[in-house]
Amino acid sequence: MKNTENWGRFINWFAMRPRTAGFLVFFIFATITFIFSVLRNQILKDEDRNKMKIILNNAHQNIEQSLKNCYSTTVSLALTLDNSGVPQNFEAVSKQLIRSNPIVSSVELVPGGVIKYIYPLEGNEAAMNLNILSTADIRKEAKKSIESQKIYFAGPLKLRQGEVGIVGRLPIYNENKFWGFTAVIIKLNTLLKASGVKDIQHSDYYFQFSKKNPVTSKEEFFLPSKTDLSKSYYISQSISDSDWVLYLVAKQNVLVYPQVLFTSALGIIIALLFGILTTNILKKPEELEFLLKEQEAKLLKTEMKFKTIIDQAPVGFAIIDTASGNLMEANKKFCDMLGYTFEEIKKLGVNNVIHRNDLETFKNIKNLEKGIITDFSIEKQCLMKTGEIIWVNIIVSAFVESNEKPTSYIAFTKDVTERKNAEALIEKSQARFKSIIDNISVILWEYDLETKKSSFISKHAENLLGFSVEEYEENPRLWEEHIHPDDREYALSFAKKNKNFVNHEYEYRMITKEGKVIWIRNIINYGLKDDKPVISRGIMIDITTMKEAEKNLNNSLELVTEQNKRLLNFSYIVSHNLRSHTSNIESIISLIETAESEDEKNEMMQLLKSVSNSLDETMKHLNEVVNINTNLNLVTKPLKLSKYIKRARQLFTKQILTNKVTFITDVEKNALINYNSAYLESILYNLISNAIRYKHHERKPIITIKLYKENGKDVIEVSDNGIGIDLERNADKIFGLYKTFSTNSDARGIGLFITKNQVNAMGGTIVVNSIPNTGTTFKIYIK
Amino acid sequence: MKDKVIWVVDDDVIYQTIINKIIQKSGVFSSHFTFPNGNEALTSLKKILEDDDTALPDIILLDINMPVMDGWEFMEEIKKIKSDIRKDIHIYIVSSSIALEDKNKSATFSNIMGYIPKPISVNELIAIVSNT
Repeated sequence: MKNTENWGRFINWFAMRPRTAGFLVFFIFATITFIFSVLRNQILKDEDRNKMKIILNNAHQNIEQSLKNCYSTTVSLALTLDNSGVPQNFEAVSKQLIRSNPIVSSVELVPGGVIKYIYPLEGNEAAMNLNILSTADIRKEAKKSIESQKIYFAGPLKLRQGEVGIVGRLPIYNENKFWGFTAVIIKLNTLLKASGVKDIQHSDYYFQFSKKNPVTSKEEFFLPSKTDLSKSYYISQSISDSDWVLYLVAKQNVLVYPQVLFTSALGIIIALLFGILTTNILKKPEELEFLLKEQEAKLLKTEMKFKTIIDQAPVGFAIIDTASGNLMEANKKFCDMLGYTFEEIKKLGVNNVIHRNDLETFKNIKNLEKGIITDFSIEKQCLMKTGEIIWVNIIVSAFVESNEKPTSYIAFTKDVTERKNAEALIEKSQARFKSIIDNISVILWEYDLETKKSSFISKHAENLLGFSVEEYEENPRLWEEHIHPDDREYALSFAKKNKNFVNHEYEYRMITKEGKVIWIRNIINYGLKDDKPVISRGIMIDITTMKEAEKNLNNSLELVTEQNKRLLNFSYIVSHNLRSHTSNIESIISLIETAESEDEKNEMMQLLKSVSNSLDETMKHLNEVVNINTNLNLVTKPLKLSKYIKRARQLFTKQILTNKVTFITDVEKNALINYNSAYLESILYNLISNAIRYKHHERKPIITIKLYKENGKDVIEVSDNGIGIDLERNADKIFGLYKTFSTNSDARGIGLFITKNQVNAMGGTIVVNSIPNTGTTFKIYIK
Repeated sequence: MKDKVIWVVDDDVIYQTIINKIIQKSGVFSSHFTFPNGNEALTSLKKILEDDDTALPDIILLDINMPVMDGWEFMEEIKKIKSDIRKDIHIYIVSSSIALEDKNKSATFSNIMGYIPKPISVNELIAIVSNT
């Protein structure tokens, strides 16, 4: 426990001193690196020396082996001597020996110290007969072999026959008496080559070969490489049966290996990095603390700012505890709005100021608690401290910490009393307008030109056309479908032709849901958006009554016009016809006055009588017409048409038989028409009379009488196959008084005039269709 | 002086008798003819023109209201005759009542020389001849 505490204190001490801790880490790592480097350097050095030993051993063994071979050669050479010391087959044996031991350049037999036998002799003649025991520079080494009684390799020395060589001499004794030497001559280069010393090509080492001079006792070096080895690292080995020493010298005396240097440098860098890292890591808490303080300051500033914003906000702000419903915080606006201080509201409880116990608020709060909604808005009436009631818009959201249930509610409140009052006024106004629109006796409508749908239609549409507002909204073509078929094309083309969307009005008929035909005046104007019409609005006014009045007026006008026309016509007829007679009378009287004889006078008197009769007839006709037109109380009653036709036929029995008239009656026996009896009789009489009178001379007359309905009206049709009338020429005078258009002498121009007057007096009309030489048809429309 | 030919076109039989007496009394016409309607007068006129007869009427007293072919229809037919021939036919509308529209209509026919209201007197007839 205590150790743990101490350790903790130790750590804290370092944590508080990041630079010291950093340096310590650097020092530890640097020390480890140093130790490791030293060890590694030593290992490398040892490896290097072992390697040198191996190289040197190899070379040494090779030399030793070569020398041993030379010993064998000298021994073999000695065997050529016979007992008397004379060599036998010297050349042949020597040749064989040199072949088997190639490093030997020549062999010699040196009896008594004088070189007497040399193989091969050629090239070695200079050495022949050389007394080695008496020659100063070689005698000492020659004696060394005699003294040791074994082979001794002299040299390297300058050979008599040239080059530097080694001479291996084996002292030979015959019956314990020194006979002389068998010798082998080895060229130094050949030996070095054979030993591998010559061949060594190592970048790091080189060989050196030395021998202590037998005269000067000084060590002499035989290889061209460096001879001062005092500053170099080397290893050496002595070669047996000679005074030679073989050296292997390192070219450079390496204290520290580059690999170690690199590793050390890397280690130092790592140590340095660790030191810096440690310092930085330990500095972090300090920095974090600084940042924390900075953030705290910022937060404080922000909090102050927010607090100021909330306090000065134009809306009320309050935080309410979800569990207790107590007010936790509130800004000044919230308190001022209600007229209480914060403490007063807290004491009273929010529920007593803003009622939350209504169903909607309760439901919203439940949803807020469950997380179904994140906020809700509600408008409520609140009781102020002064007792005044105000409207408040409240936006409530839940304050949730770490995904748990809300701990409090945040409420933003705004006094919307003015708006609510304005809304109430608008609502009242709208209700008034709605009432006016619903009760006004016109249809107000609005049509969206973009969606091609009815966007509004007032309730009067239901009263007027029988279709509910919903039916209009559901069927965009309802209006179009219920335009009167006779007016549809006109009404639709009128709307379509209005390309410039000019405000306009037009009239047409519509068929109500009950099938009733009503007249509508549609006044249309357009709502524009970016100069493009987007909506059309209008008023549909029921003008049926007006149209009926107009129709009645037109009918009356037509009647008056017709009557005026008839009156004018009648006055003209009266004037013209009476004037004809009076002018005739005037002329006759004048002629009587100027008569030259009684006969002439009598003639004029007769003429005067004719005028008188004619005048009387005219007066009768005019009287008849006056009677027709002035008889306002004509008695009408249902008459059996077939009976009247039958009676008329009876009147023309003679003519029918004479002219072989075919009479066709297409009238139901009991068909009734409401008419004046005398007029019906007269009309049938005149029309049948004309049909017979104007028969075609090439065919038998056929007269057809029909009764049928046309546009709900009874029509009596009388047609014949007579000569017909050229209506192009005579249409305007066919029903005129005294208008005749045939060459018949009995044509008086009175029948059709009377007939038309009678038909008109009954409120009906008469029309004629005729084709010359084909026939004529009169149609009497009964009112 | 007695070299003029006069035609009366009128459907009134009594008037035809009266005007014949007046024409005779005037003593200024070499011959006179009466026609009950425009069609008969036109037929005679065409026949005269076809026969290249020189007895074309100098004066026609024309009634308006007549059966078969009234005075206006007759005038329309007259219009079709070559102008160098018809220019010498002086036509007078004779009527017991003359409407304003009839007067306006008569202005469209170059052959109509004037209106004479009935009754026509001998002196009026002589005055017409002197203007011809």
